[in-house]
Amino acid sequence: MRPGLVHLARVTAAELSKLRTLPAVGLTVAATVVAGGSVAALAASSAVTGGAPRDPVGAVTEVVRFVQAGVVLLGVLPVAHESAGTQLRTTLAAVPRRAVLVAAKTLAALVALAVTAAGTVCAMVGGAVVATAPARGVAGEAAPRWAGPGAAVVAGDDLTRLAGAAVFLVLVGVLAQAVALLLRELVPALVATLGLVLIVSPLLGSLTEHARWLPDQAAALLWAPADPVLTPAAGALVATAWVVVVGACGGARLVLVDASG
Amino acid sequence: MSRRAGVRFRDLAAAELGKAVTLPVVRAAVAGTVGGSAGLAALNAVGARNALVGGAAGAGLAPPAFDVAYAAAPLGAAGAVVLGVVAMSSEYAASSADAGGGRQVTTTLTAAPGRLRVLGAKALVVALLVAMTAVLAIGACLAVATLVLGDAAAEAVGLREAVLRTAGAALYWTLTALIALAVTVLTRGATLPLVVLVANGSLVSFSLLLSRVTPWAHWLPDLAGRRLYGGLATVPGGPDAVTGAWVMAAWTAALLAVAGVVLARRDA
Repeated sequence: MRPGLVHLARVTAAELSKLRTLPAVGLTVAATVVAGGSVAALAASSAVTGGAPRDPVGAVTEVVRFVQAGVVLLGVLPVAHESAGTQLRTTLAAVPRRAVLVAAKTLAALVALAVTAAGTVCAMVGGAVVATAPARGVAGEAAPRWAGPGAAVVAGDDLTRLAGAAVFLVLVGVLAQAVALLLRELVPALVATLGLVLIVSPLLGSLTEHARWLPDQAAALLWAPADPVLTPAAGALVATAWVVVVGACGGARLVLVDASG
Repeated sequence: MSRRAGVRFRDLAAAELGKAVTLPVVRAAVAGTVGGSAGLAALNAVGARNALVGGAAGAGLAPPAFDVAYAAAPLGAAGAVVLGVVAMSSEYAASSADAGGGRQVTTTLTAAPGRLRVLGAKALVVALLVAMTAVLAIGACLAVATLVLGDAAAEAVGLREAVLRTAGAALYWTLTALIALAVTVLTRGATLPLVVLVANGSLVSFSLLLSRVTPWAHWLPDLAGRRLYGGLATVPGGPDAVTGAWVMAAWTAALLAVAGVVLARRDA
């Protein structure tokens, strides 16, 4: 392996270790998974109560926007925490090549976000399936009709949409990290990203069709492919382009600007 | 009372106002709310005008400029949350380690030992700032919408209705900001209240989801008060505007009371 790659791998390992030992990160991951499971259970059970057929995957894609707040926090927290105190100075003394640091931070965030997103989507499917299990509340049924371990709950096209939901969450989280690199401080980064994905984007979506080019709406095509202009893959590319552009600006700030400024 | 505590309430409120308006985040929140709402209103107005110009005659009634402007109102709740949260969380944020790593709250409580009065002054300042932002934002939206639509708009909404609806939105924002302030007194940090309240104030609201399972959710503060946005579509069910405003105000008062007890009793 080339020495540069070894260096990058070591710095990434260090960044992962920071993520692992920051208590707020662990709490955020746990809260996101639990919130995802409960929200999906709530949505699925209310849909079944309302007379709709059982549809765990539909319930998951309906509420996947709710867990955006969790992955946004996961993207923003580590960067903001490092800039808030003197940790950034220590980090830069240990890793003077700042471009490597930016790459390592992004890789570490990707790992953490991928694990969280996968866990959250699994929890959501689990919550939706359990909340609408056929044995519950069905009169005259003696024993639960449990299909047994290994029975397929979701398959085929649905699986693609679920994977798309996980990728969507990862993209939103990396975007939040890029914004945090650019703004450095917790409150501005958190408000900017949450405001974009939770408030501005839905409001713009109801006003103009061009809102499809916003990062979260483009990425959302991965689990709701219903746009006349963008395919899901193109939507993912648009969202990735947003992440790359914002991340490049944030990386440039870390590389070029005084670390305490 | 004022003699015993040493600081007049008027001075205390003036000091809190000075602290609030010199926080960069507060300035950004006010500017972002006013500018963002005006931008949304402009977009909405351009869309409405194009629909009028492009559509054949009789395609539909032209919306009044006030309605076009008012559609941007929900954005301001997020700005109100930010104002309420940072007014308190900035007290607890530690300054740079190079500057001693101190927290402003120790200075504040040294200067004004009456903690309930400090909270009262903060609540007053937050309410004033948010109400001012609301009037500025809706005024800016109205100006933009009138400029863009020009003569194309339908007859104006009556002054009385316009004032009522603006006051309703301003009241909703103010109560939201006070709830954010009270929650931040409990959490001290900005992260949790920001995430929960901004997310819940958005279109993907946990309260809204909960209301599909139990009708009791309609009595949560944000859902109870949502009819204060007069003229905007909302989900059916729950109390009417006036009852909802009282319910939301009661929640705010209760949370502020809890915050007052905690602030007075807990070690700063």
